[in-house]
Amino acid sequence: MTTTVESKPATLAPSISLEAPLELADVSVRFDIPTERILSFKEYVLRRLTSKIERRELWALKEVDVKVNSGEVLGVIGRNGAGKSTLLKVVSRVLQPTSGRVVIKGDLAPLLELGAGFHFDLTGRENVYLNAALLGHRRKDVDDRLNLAIEFSGLREFFDVPIRNYSSGMLARLGFAVATMFRPDILLIDEILAVGDAAFQDKCLNRIEEFRSSGTTILLVSHQYHEIAQHCDRALWLDQGRVAAIGKTQEVLDRYFEALSIGQT
Amino acid sequence: MGRLRELVVLWAGRNIKLRYKRSALGILWTLLEPLMLMTILSVVFSQLFRFQIENYPIYLLSGLLLFDFFNRSTLQIVEEIVESQGLASRIYVPRTVFAVATVLSYLLSWAIALIPLLIIMLVLGHPFSIALVTVPAGMVLTGLFALGIGLLVATLGISFHDFKLTYQVLLTAWLYATPIIYPIEVVPEEYRHWFMLNPLLYLCSTVRDPFFLGEVAPLEVWLVAITFSVGTLGLGWWVFTSRRRAFDYHS
Repeated sequence: MTTTVESKPATLAPSISLEAPLELADVSVRFDIPTERILSFKEYVLRRLTSKIERRELWALKEVDVKVNSGEVLGVIGRNGAGKSTLLKVVSRVLQPTSGRVVIKGDLAPLLELGAGFHFDLTGRENVYLNAALLGHRRKDVDDRLNLAIEFSGLREFFDVPIRNYSSGMLARLGFAVATMFRPDILLIDEILAVGDAAFQDKCLNRIEEFRSSGTTILLVSHQYHEIAQHCDRALWLDQGRVAAIGKTQEVLDRYFEALSIGQT
Repeated sequence: MGRLRELVVLWAGRNIKLRYKRSALGILWTLLEPLMLMTILSVVFSQLFRFQIENYPIYLLSGLLLFDFFNRSTLQIVEEIVESQGLASRIYVPRTVFAVATVLSYLLSWAIALIPLLIIMLVLGHPFSIALVTVPAGMVLTGLFALGIGLLVATLGISFHDFKLTYQVLLTAWLYATPIIYPIEVVPEEYRHWFMLNPLLYLCSTVRDPFFLGEVAPLEVWLVAITFSVGTLGLGWWVFTSRRRAFDYHS
């Protein structure tokens, strides 16, 4: 039931500009991590009175300087804790950098965690409107696109049922359908989603490919290096919050694997 | 701005939907609960303490509904904002949206809960005054005040998981420190000026006077109420939004 591929591309006119739609200028993010976690108000007051609370500095990103071109797919690699997720958070404006600037031109869609804000007691339809509003879409635009999204999710007969009754695959399909309702100028992907059955995964990939061919810039974080090699124009290697290398995908991957094998990082 | 307004309205609607979906009696409960509460309290207090107040149920209920709104909405703001931490660490959305939506949804519940009060007035033969048209203004002011307090409490609530419990204790004290169950006249003259520092006293008067006295609250009461509401909201909003960075880094 999920074999139809979108015939009508769900796009607005691609906005092609020569300017970089995404630019990080000297971006640093510092976390001050208390050496002990103090969760209670009483404890905090007592500690404040008796001793200083010790904190440890951690630079999740340090002087990251990156320009991503229009329509480009940039792959981000690095070990766990290298700053990949922090990079995505900074780009999606969820985290303000400690210093530096993030310049974003156009609409940005995070394909990070699908279905953020879904409530199990509400129907598919209600959740779509809420999720779309959270992502910054106007109600009337959602009205226009709703049918396409329902069709894409393949959930038409379950659309007015509380999502409590959905399977996890159905939830992911609904989440993906809302998240990709509109063509964004910048798309953030944290691991290509292994959601739903094979047919639906193909549909997701097609949708992303459609966006890309109409000019969407994509930032792809992944540990699946064959995916990076397959999809990305350039790759960025992060190591302990710093840019270790950026350039042609294969070259960066080669250097990364070399470093891994020597155990340099 | 239009986007955020739509989100606030949608989120308020979601809260209302969820609130009534959860209880079997649904909206009927909003109507029944104040009636039952009022019956219990008016029997207990008017018999026990023998306040010399005519139509005590109206005095009591009009004030109690205001406090009930304040109580629920501020606690729910803390809840919503702490809950939205996960959401806000994934999607860029101002957290204040959830606070404003909460106040809006509880203002609506408050308005619905006024229906039983009007019925009781009818039953007791209490006069309906034209002054009642000023009630919504008093409710909105109370809403602004609740939003300010809610944001202040939420600021602490995000960092300290137990602050909500502390606040709950404070709320109980606040109820008894406000002339809602008792008239201000029972407070000895020499302590009364302390009671006058309580913003809820003025807000209460703007809402209760039209019901109970059939009069619009005095101008100076309105001015004090406006000052407290707007001031508290400004302070709460500023404290909360200036801590935004810290919240981001906390999660």
